Amino acid sequence: MVIAACVAASAWGANAAEARTDLRIGNGGEPQTLDPHRYNLRLEEAILNDLFLGLTTFNASGDIVPGAAASWAVSEDGLTWTFQLRQEGKWSDGHPVTAEDFVYAFRRLLAPSTAASLAHFMYPIRGAAAVNAGTAPAAALGVRASGDHELVIELARPFPFLAERLIYPTGYPVPRHVIEAAGDGWTKPGTMVSNGAFTLHDWRPQAVVELRKNPRFFDAEAVALERIAYYPTSDANAAYNRYRAGELDAIGNFPAGEIGWLSKNMPEHLRLTPLVSIMYLVYNTAAAPFEDARVREALSLAIDRQLITARVLKSGEQPNAGLVPAMVPGYQSALAPAAERPARLARARQLLGAAGHTAEAPLEITLRYISGGESKAVQLAIAAMWKDIGVATTLHHADLKTHFADLRQGEFQVAQAGWFGENNAQHYLDLLVSDTGDVNYGQFSDAAYDALMRRAYAEPELAERLALLAQAEAVGLAKHPVTPLYSVTTRALVHPRITGWIANPRNVHGARYLAWR
Amino acid sequence: MRGLLRAAWAHSAWTRACAALLCAVVALAVIAPDASPWGVDEIDWDAIDRGPSARHWFGTDSAGRDLLTRSWAGARLSLSLALLGTAVSAAIGIPYGAIAGYFGGRVDQAMMRAVDATYALPFVFLVILLVVAFGRNVYLLFIAIGAVSWLDLARIVRGQTLAVRNELYVEAARALGAPRTTILLRHVIPNLLGPAIVYATLTLPGVILAESFISFLGLGVQEPQASWGVLIADGAREMQGSWWQLAFPATLLASTLLAVNTLGDALRDALNRRATLAAPRE
Amino acid sequence: MAAYLARRGATSLMTLLAVITVAFFLIRAAPGGPFDGERRLPAQVEANLRAAYHLDEPLIAQYGRYLLMLGRGDLGPSFRSKDFTVNELIASGLPVSLNVGGFALALAAGLGIAAGAVAGLRPGRRLDRGITVAAVAGLALPPIVVAPLLALVFAVTLGWLPAGGFESPRHVLLPAVALALPYLAAFARLTRGEVAEALAAPHVVTARAKGLPARRIALRHVLPTALLPAVSFLGPAAAALLTGSMVVEEVFALPGLGRHFVQGALNRDYTLVLGTVIVYATLILAFNLAVDALYTRLDPRIRLGR
Repeated sequence: MVIAACVAASAWGANAAEARTDLRIGNGGEPQTLDPHRYNLRLEEAILNDLFLGLTTFNASGDIVPGAAASWAVSEDGLTWTFQLRQEGKWSDGHPVTAEDFVYAFRRLLAPSTAASLAHFMYPIRGAAAVNAGTAPAAALGVRASGDHELVIELARPFPFLAERLIYPTGYPVPRHVIEAAGDGWTKPGTMVSNGAFTLHDWRPQAVVELRKNPRFFDAEAVALERIAYYPTSDANAAYNRYRAGELDAIGNFPAGEIGWLSKNMPEHLRLTPLVSIMYLVYNTAAAPFEDARVREALSLAIDRQLITARVLKSGEQPNAGLVPAMVPGYQSALAPAAERPARLARARQLLGAAGHTAEAPLEITLRYISGGESKAVQLAIAAMWKDIGVATTLHHADLKTHFADLRQGEFQVAQAGWFGENNAQHYLDLLVSDTGDVNYGQFSDAAYDALMRRAYAEPELAERLALLAQAEAVGLAKHPVTPLYSVTTRALVHPRITGWIANPRNVHGARYLAWR
Repeated sequence: MRGLLRAAWAHSAWTRACAALLCAVVALAVIAPDASPWGVDEIDWDAIDRGPSARHWFGTDSAGRDLLTRSWAGARLSLSLALLGTAVSAAIGIPYGAIAGYFGGRVDQAMMRAVDATYALPFVFLVILLVVAFGRNVYLLFIAIGAVSWLDLARIVRGQTLAVRNELYVEAARALGAPRTTILLRHVIPNLLGPAIVYATLTLPGVILAESFISFLGLGVQEPQASWGVLIADGAREMQGSWWQLAFPATLLASTLLAVNTLGDALRDALNRRATLAAPRE
Repeated sequence: MAAYLARRGATSLMTLLAVITVAFFLIRAAPGGPFDGERRLPAQVEANLRAAYHLDEPLIAQYGRYLLMLGRGDLGPSFRSKDFTVNELIASGLPVSLNVGGFALALAAGLGIAAGAVAGLRPGRRLDRGITVAAVAGLALPPIVVAPLLALVFAVTLGWLPAGGFESPRHVLLPAVALALPYLAAFARLTRGEVAEALAAPHVVTARAKGLPARRIALRHVLPTALLPAVSFLGPAAAALLTGSMVVEEVFALPGLGRHFVQGALNRDYTLVLGTVIVYATLILAFNLAVDALYTRLDPRIRLGR
């Protein structure tokens, strides 16, 4: 779900004779934690990216580049990854960053006592799931140090996307020497030690998180900013006001209705970036009326994605008929092109009739969505489109927590959902695998789809794997367990004098790359 | 009660104007949503987020729905919810105050001490907890809001009961040996209704505002239903680019509150004047 | 007096316990739990989390555990803000809310009583009419409209005051005004009515007939009694201003307790929700007690210990 986007970047209204070195960012909300192993939110990722450096990281354009590891090699069978750490890598207190630190970090992430909610990110590692479940000792984890600066990661099955997976905070090292001394309080300002371009200077809850440049960062010379302040601007209007008043240099979200005014009056501030993400509708395939694939297909057919993105959203969102966002590189969707809308509507009515939903006994359903933001307008548009085929839709909104709690418990008929994160097809197609668990909200289960996905998981060759994934997508979507809608556009305002803010599909903007002109 | 209304009507031209305004709002809330050519949830694909025009007098919202229709549908819902909440608070507050006042002594002390204690509850917080717990049902929610806003009414009714209790006709009934409940139901409560209704009027704006507050926090009624709170909360978020989304519903709400407050004041003045005429103070 | 205060104190404690109990079971009755994210939480991980926070125990045992913890002055760890305890969160948010709420109360009571007195002392005059109409209008404007309007006009368009944050006294001004307006109007209306009524009281009429100067009548005979209701209104007003700051905290991005509470309730952060409710209930109870004490000081007619 792309509710709290994050950003990076600069101050306007300042008459700086010399370039500023501080940055005030509206970060969309209060971090729940700055412990990389306990984090859960995208807005926390933004701060953690600046504080820590994983084995791999991303550059200003969002591409994967070496991080704490200078290089790595993958074995022929795709199961063993060997990382060479940077010799000069140091914690902000001067301790060297060693392979042992990473071993400690991976074990800590997966220890049941850490209760890391994103621990499953590392399940591709051999033994990870068992260690996390408490059924195997920490030593069973396939991560070991074969020297001070050489780390070996062994996988349970080939996972070509590991380098990408490691850019997330779940793969970051944590300072053992500090955690063992300070316990859970290690993330407090003054105590926290990190290995990224910045260090934690201050954290006042709901007020600000302040970072300072880390002089011991391996690439400190290239870091221009000295101070960064992340403000928890949970209200998009408040963030927008503060930006307009010159109190913030960059914000990751603003009210959608302002796009027109902004593109006329402040076009050089406006940054609209397609995010690799998919918004979709999910049907509860375990209960009537959506256990019937014909009903699901009818509702899918009635939706006009173009109308939603062009008339309702208007920020450049990309209509997306597949579950995999079109911008995912190297992936070739095998879906058939859609028919014209009149033909689609006729077919939809026919399908509904065949399923027993006629004009006399129309289909009545409830569509659930998340309160706040512009998702409301989208759901209203969808309800109106379904009205065109004689379906009566009741809308029901709830806060994010309740919404997803209802979805996991199967207490819904059809609901709004979204998925984002990695820039690879598997990340999205995992959603429909029958044993995926909670996030397969609709409890979709299809033997043909599962079989294709399992073949893809075992395939070490990337091209082969992608072909199998595309095949699976076509087979799965033919059953309409979900209706993919569109890829989100992130709306940011960034001061025009900030350099290094390069639009990228991950919408990641490391502060180490930013500078004032 | 009729005398009170007449007295309030005679209060001033301003009061009469407010009464007329309120009647107009109520009448339009009843008629307008159905009379409008646009449905409450009907989308005009060619006019999404557009200002006032001949086609849409109040403009359209961010989903392309007619704001005129929605404002009046909102009036209907908000007023019904406010009446519901007020009725619940009256249904609890009036008997509670009447019982405390009529029985007096220990019963009265215990009951009023409970009211004093309840005043210390952080109501806003309880209301939010109620929304989070009952969020699915807006009617249930307003019953709950009513159930936490009866305190003022209970206090006032108790005071009135204390006064009525010593009136001649009640003493007479008591002397004739009528049972307490009969006296309470036949003589005390009917004589309290006038003032009680007046003070209930004064709780009405509070309930309307509570609805807007809850909607602002994103916990209001479910779409496609419209309420003033939801319309204003949505409008306030869009006001920089689309002023009409805020201006029309906010004006409606503010003028209704103004009218209700003014009328409530006039009624209360009339009540006080009558009380002053009937019994010289102290 | 001491006995009275002791009894009131005991009642307050019982009220507090009732508040805690209601809030505890209400938030637990809400659907969803503190660990419902949108992403998958494997059964084992969820079980680990629940065990770490004792959520796997029966509800009544958790309630007992909570009360014991409370007895030690510990409000527990926050479910959502994993790096802070509820005590720390409240310590950081409470000063902000008290600042804004206190300033708003001073504004509402000070200006409201003054305006009401001025209007009430000259009933029917143009100034009285103006103040009365303004007060009725003030009551009719919901804070959810006023607060964003103030931000738009004075911060974004005119640039006179900050649009958000809590860094200096200037940051408190706009939120406090937005918060105070309806209560300012309420104080003004209340005071105006009482003053006008007191002016018509027999002893004031007599004083005037004796030819005492108007100023002396106002200060000696009218205001002392007429202001008493305003004093007793301070209690509820303070409670409402303290707890009602959620909207302005949201609009002006203030790091106050109200936001902690709303976020906590939405995220089912059980301990944070309970902690804020307890702090607010205690504040309100204490404030009511203080107002009552003040009231008995001011009004000799009240006899205690009845």
